[in-house]
Amino acid sequence: MNQYLELFQEQRALIDSNSLPLLNSCREAAAEAFARLGFPTKRVERYKYTDVASAFAPEYGLKLDTPLSQQTIPDVVASRYGTLADVNDDAITALNTMLAQELTVVHIPAGERRQQPIRLTRQLHSTVPLMQNRRLIVVVEEGAEVSLLMSDQTDDDQDFLTTQVTEIFVGKGASVEVYDIERTNARCHRLHQLYADVSAGGRFLHTSFTATCGLTRNTTNVRLSGEGASTELLGTAIIDGQQHCDNNTLIDHAAPGCKSHELYKYVADEHATGAFAGRVLVRQEAQQTESQETNANLVCTPWARIYTQPMLEIYADDVQCSHGSTVGQMNEAALFYMQQRGIGADEARLLLKQAFTADVLNLIPFEPLRDWLRNLANRRFEGDLNHCRTCQLCGPTK
Amino acid sequence: MLQIRNLHASVGGKEILKGIDLTVKPGEIHALMGLNGAGKSTLSYVMAGHPAYTVTEGSVTYRGKDLLTMSPDERAHEGIFLSFQQPVEIPGVMMFNFMRAAINAKRKASGQEPIGASEFRTLMQEKRKLVGLDSRLANRGVNEGFSGGERKRNEIFQMAMLEPSLAILDETDSGLDVDALRIVGEGFNRLRKEDTSAIVITHYQRLLDYIRPDIVHVLIDGRIVKTGGPELATEIEQRGFDWIKETL
Repeated sequence: MNQYLELFQEQRALIDSNSLPLLNSCREAAAEAFARLGFPTKRVERYKYTDVASAFAPEYGLKLDTPLSQQTIPDVVASRYGTLADVNDDAITALNTMLAQELTVVHIPAGERRQQPIRLTRQLHSTVPLMQNRRLIVVVEEGAEVSLLMSDQTDDDQDFLTTQVTEIFVGKGASVEVYDIERTNARCHRLHQLYADVSAGGRFLHTSFTATCGLTRNTTNVRLSGEGASTELLGTAIIDGQQHCDNNTLIDHAAPGCKSHELYKYVADEHATGAFAGRVLVRQEAQQTESQETNANLVCTPWARIYTQPMLEIYADDVQCSHGSTVGQMNEAALFYMQQRGIGADEARLLLKQAFTADVLNLIPFEPLRDWLRNLANRRFEGDLNHCRTCQLCGPTK
Repeated sequence: MLQIRNLHASVGGKEILKGIDLTVKPGEIHALMGLNGAGKSTLSYVMAGHPAYTVTEGSVTYRGKDLLTMSPDERAHEGIFLSFQQPVEIPGVMMFNFMRAAINAKRKASGQEPIGASEFRTLMQEKRKLVGLDSRLANRGVNEGFSGGERKRNEIFQMAMLEPSLAILDETDSGLDVDALRIVGEGFNRLRKEDTSAIVITHYQRLLDYIRPDIVHVLIDGRIVKTGGPELATEIEQRGFDWIKETL
């Protein structure tokens, strides 16, 4: 931890000179918070399943002198920077705010409806261990619509660490869809924090698809702050080898008549570890809440591990809420049935895995992406992800 | 074609089959009758290669090959088909994909090219009609939400698609009403190829009214204790099994 604080103190001038004043204005408070919080240990409830310190073990290089492509940021965006991502609440958010130099802004003015998704492709490329601290802010004003397609990839077999803090503001009656697809290498450490605030009648869909990873921790916090807001959180994680994927979500029902639906599915093979902790908080004022939370897991070997913790906290009395989780193994009877029909054992397992993840992918409303993700999942299960064939969506690869 | 010699098998350490001898020739239909727990289903599982069953003694030869050393899918490629007593539900695996994977695996095993999508669709449509399954079949999960009757018809449909040389029907009549029984029975007759052999496992005569057996066996306590012609099934229907037990 100290090395990052020291780095910040020593390189402060360089960091600031290549960053927006907006980002610089928040660093001091973030550094103080980070010094106070330290890296979360497994004793911190929200980090129970992920060893954050191990992500910081390699000696990473940080590129601090990338010249700034200065652009003016609209006030409506600037005034919101750092307002959802509270540095006092989370050490990763604090660290990111302290060091982040790059800010991606998506601003959709009131009433504008974007038909085509906005693509944000991140490709990590380095010959030495590399740390990147990214920042993203999305402001979608009243009645506007947008979808974002984020693709996170590694090009080289190298140690990477990415922290990313995303703040999303969904205006009244606005609609935002975020698709976050990760295809990183086994040496990549990804610590992502996403915060969304959904105003009255707004809609926020978040889909997380972990196709490959090293150590991944995704925090997704959604606040339904206006009446009749809704959110849908969908997640798929396909993990094997020594991969580790931890999704930690919070849906905060802070207004009446809001709806939330959450479905996360994991397929854990070999020695992989998956964790899901989903907290749904229904505040006293959030009457007529409808909420449904499900986490289902398929564990393919005796060595794979799944930790699941659905949590429902209700302070209102007129609500319809459910939550649940399952952890199961391959259905042996189904495997035998398929083999009896001539399907080989490996292919039978493949069909079962595909079927298991199908229902999450079926919920994706954007059809070309749905088909593409199905294909990606199938190829992942077949062990064929190293060659990107006719990839239109995730950008050029080798 | 099929030769079972002195077959002993156990499940969970308990011996169920205690020396079965059975020979089936091409095109022959054998009925296997007996009370619950006699070992009828065990015999069908052992022949299909279910991993829970252990063969402790004896041999099963099919078309000159040792069946017992083969994996379940290899046995299927050799032409063995088991119509399950309780077909399992496989949510999310679509019938279309499932059936195509099965057919292509079989074709691959015999060095044939995979079946084309349109040819496959036509074939599937033709066969499903014969057992009265509607056009939604292709896009339904395997047995997912199927009624008891639909599941049994689905078994016969799969048999028709895979064209086995030996079909084992394990209590295909159980849980069927009279109409469903007729559809399954007639469907089997229409869909079976001339030289397809069958072993029909049943408690009752009623399925045998449709699927006429050449030879009827009675299985009691893991052994075939009596073998006869079709009239034996009729006699069992009238007199039960006790008179056979008494003669032992």
